[in-house]
Amino acid sequence: MKQQFLKLAVVSAIACSVGVSASATADAVDTAAIVGDQASTGDIVSYGLGPRGQRYSPLSAINKETIKNLFPVWSFSFGGEKQRGQESQPLVKDGVMYVTGSYSRMWAIDIATGEELWQYDARLPEGILPCCDVVNRGAAILGDKVFFGTLDAKIVALDAKTGKVVWRKKIADFEAGYSYTAAPLIVPTEAHGPLILTGNSGGEFGVVGQVDARNPDTGDLVWSRPVIEGHMGTLNGEESTMTGTANESWPGDMWKNGGGATWLGGTYDADSKLAYFGTGNPAPWNSYLRPGDNKWTSSRVAINPENGEIEWGFQTTPHDGWDYDGVNEFVTFDMEKDGKVIKAGATADRNGFFYVLDRTNGDFVSAVPFVKNITWAKGIDENGRPIFDPENRPGDPAESADGKKGKSIFAVPSFLGGKNWMPMAYSQDTKHFYIPSNEWGMDIWNEPVTYKKGAAYLGAGFTIKPIFDDYIGSLKAIDPASGETKWEYKNKAPLWGGVLTTAGGLVFTGTPEGFLKAFDDETGEELWKFQTGTGIVSSPVTWEQDGEQWLAIVAGWGGAVPLWGGEVAKFVSHLNQGGSVWTFKIPKQLAAK
Amino acid sequence: MILLTRLILGSLLLCVTGLLHARPIDEVVDSGYLTISLYEDYAPYSWQEGDQVLGIDADIARRFADHLGVDIKFLVRGADENVDDDLRNNLWKGDLIHRQSADLMMHVPQDRELAARNNLVALMAPYFMEEMAVVANTAVLPVLETFGRFLNKPIAVEVDTAGDFFLSNAFRGKLHPSIRRGRTFAEVVKLYLAAEVPAAMGSKAQMEWIAHQSSDIASIIVQPPMPGIVRTRWPVGYAVKHDSRDLGYALTDVVSDLISSGEMKKITAQYGVSWTAFE
Repeated sequence: MKQQFLKLAVVSAIACSVGVSASATADAVDTAAIVGDQASTGDIVSYGLGPRGQRYSPLSAINKETIKNLFPVWSFSFGGEKQRGQESQPLVKDGVMYVTGSYSRMWAIDIATGEELWQYDARLPEGILPCCDVVNRGAAILGDKVFFGTLDAKIVALDAKTGKVVWRKKIADFEAGYSYTAAPLIVPTEAHGPLILTGNSGGEFGVVGQVDARNPDTGDLVWSRPVIEGHMGTLNGEESTMTGTANESWPGDMWKNGGGATWLGGTYDADSKLAYFGTGNPAPWNSYLRPGDNKWTSSRVAINPENGEIEWGFQTTPHDGWDYDGVNEFVTFDMEKDGKVIKAGATADRNGFFYVLDRTNGDFVSAVPFVKNITWAKGIDENGRPIFDPENRPGDPAESADGKKGKSIFAVPSFLGGKNWMPMAYSQDTKHFYIPSNEWGMDIWNEPVTYKKGAAYLGAGFTIKPIFDDYIGSLKAIDPASGETKWEYKNKAPLWGGVLTTAGGLVFTGTPEGFLKAFDDETGEELWKFQTGTGIVSSPVTWEQDGEQWLAIVAGWGGAVPLWGGEVAKFVSHLNQGGSVWTFKIPKQLAAK
Repeated sequence: MILLTRLILGSLLLCVTGLLHARPIDEVVDSGYLTISLYEDYAPYSWQEGDQVLGIDADIARRFADHLGVDIKFLVRGADENVDDDLRNNLWKGDLIHRQSADLMMHVPQDRELAARNNLVALMAPYFMEEMAVVANTAVLPVLETFGRFLNKPIAVEVDTAGDFFLSNAFRGKLHPSIRRGRTFAEVVKLYLAAEVPAAMGSKAQMEWIAHQSSDIASIIVQPPMPGIVRTRWPVGYAVKHDSRDLGYALTDVVSDLISSGEMKKITAQYGVSWTAFE
């Protein structure tokens, strides 16, 4: 115990010196600052507190002992009548917070006072059909500009001082079903200087997942990489290479509209110099219409930012039939196992399995379930491929053309996933991942008749069901080396927010019931909570300013959960919407004691 | 301008309350406008050219506004994953961004199960019989008695539609290499008119519309057996909000008059589409 305190004290001393130097210089953000974001505690200049996405802070002034003294400083309302889900992670630079909100809005806030410096409100056209709520997950920052994506599939660069538009570019055509909700990713390259990388979003409209890289000064496209086999990439305005081989894992021309939207954005590892993006489920939904693995849907792809080439791909759910939209973030870390250090990366997939891969080449290391009672696969084999349970693949609608409701199967997890968009955290102290997950399944049956655009077809019906009577949400601490679950916190409503862990020995996450909670990183004991007044579905951050450790969380209930009823509704239907940022710190008079 | 202001105020109110209020017939008439939703890129039923809204559904919708003596406002909307979603977006809840909804939505299949699943809307007044069909270029396909012909001949279809699902499934997936999927129906029309494909599949009206456009191609409309297809024909009508049924009932008279006077046939004939009576 004593030893541990000593260690904490040393860490915080280092953290303080870094923090002071960062705030003293007040340099404009460059890619070195972005890559080094995790260590520089005086600001937050990337999504994930460092582009690796570990969501770990070396700050420890707020710790297991002092957390009882953590109190709110200010709350900032997003205002207006536009609420719904607030999934944003704030950025912090030179005492200013940059935070995005629902309906493609962004604010700059003076952290010292909680007052608004400027607001940007994207004018959204008629006719957007965002499939899964009107959320935004955060901004990127570089030089004198802040960047974010809007629901009409555009990326906007704003002057960080004034909030005025510097440039605005179309990522994709919203009229063709595309949208954008992720935080952009800024990476260094030798060939092109800094690049700003975006994925794309879209429902089942025949979209094709793609990653684009742009010049942050002008917004001009440098390269693009479609993630579906058969599509051609571009580099410097010319065709570069084809992704895979057309028809290798798709029948006919289905690859042309294959899905695989890269809607959650990506992470970057400065050691491997690769950008990692998750890809969504294939289209159409009925897997019997598209025999084959359907690459690269429900996969992680590692892209070389120098030229947009896919270095490796790893498919978590080949030939997906459950809507396991595996865009989940790939978080890189060094893993000690059997006396060796593996250059690893981990991802907790929508399909319920937690994978560890070699981040340099995509080689499979291990996979363990992180939710209970998985039915769609009996396990993952030694090559990382699922051992399907054919009994639990949704039936072929054509088999029940007699007009009756077809065979029903119960698949775990539900299509909303063992883990959905909400990012996990990795502690450099405990070496554990903290995974926000949900214990739910779904009944799927063949619907005798469904109509689309006025025409009848054989569709599928589904309803999501909790697996346990008393909870759905489950925050788990998993040791990636052993695959063991070290502790679990159960939450009644489904968890839909990101996680933060700190050198203070704390794990923070928010709940739909409105609480921001702090847990002991070793035991899972709940040490602190605060009620924000509306559900939390966003990711907490922490930074240091004027010698004090601050914490912030965006509050506002929404996201995909309330859009899907079923038996989950009784866990969430009473929750109220909102839209605000809360900040916290330990008051000086208490910190001094 | 007054109309616009009113609409904006209305939509602000909706945002505040989060509920879409009923618009029964008296309110529609008093307000002086009727809002009708149509599918975009859905020729010959509805599509846009510049500011103009064209098509069979648009023509019928205008008769509704004329009958009530009010202005018409069209909400031309893309289709969501299924008609249940469209009923939500267009009628009972409005769209996610602007919370706008219509008083009446055109082209809603009349089906007991669909009605039962969607009790916040009322389906009524069937005005058209929808059927699945194929249009074929007789120079390439003089006979088309079975879909087996497409084992070695291409056929175009709009991606992610009932026709696409049928073709993808037919003969246990054997037609896959022959299916040319258009991202939109307009792309399907283009493929056929350019003679890049000798056939296309969709609703009979859509196929007649293609034939109507293709004066230099000798086209036939055929309906080979479609094993495994869930319905080969079904009626379509319109839908209104469940608490504004009197508006829907009042307009059923317009539909009956259009049918009994032969006017309906004239409307569809302008687009090369045959109108058949149904029970």
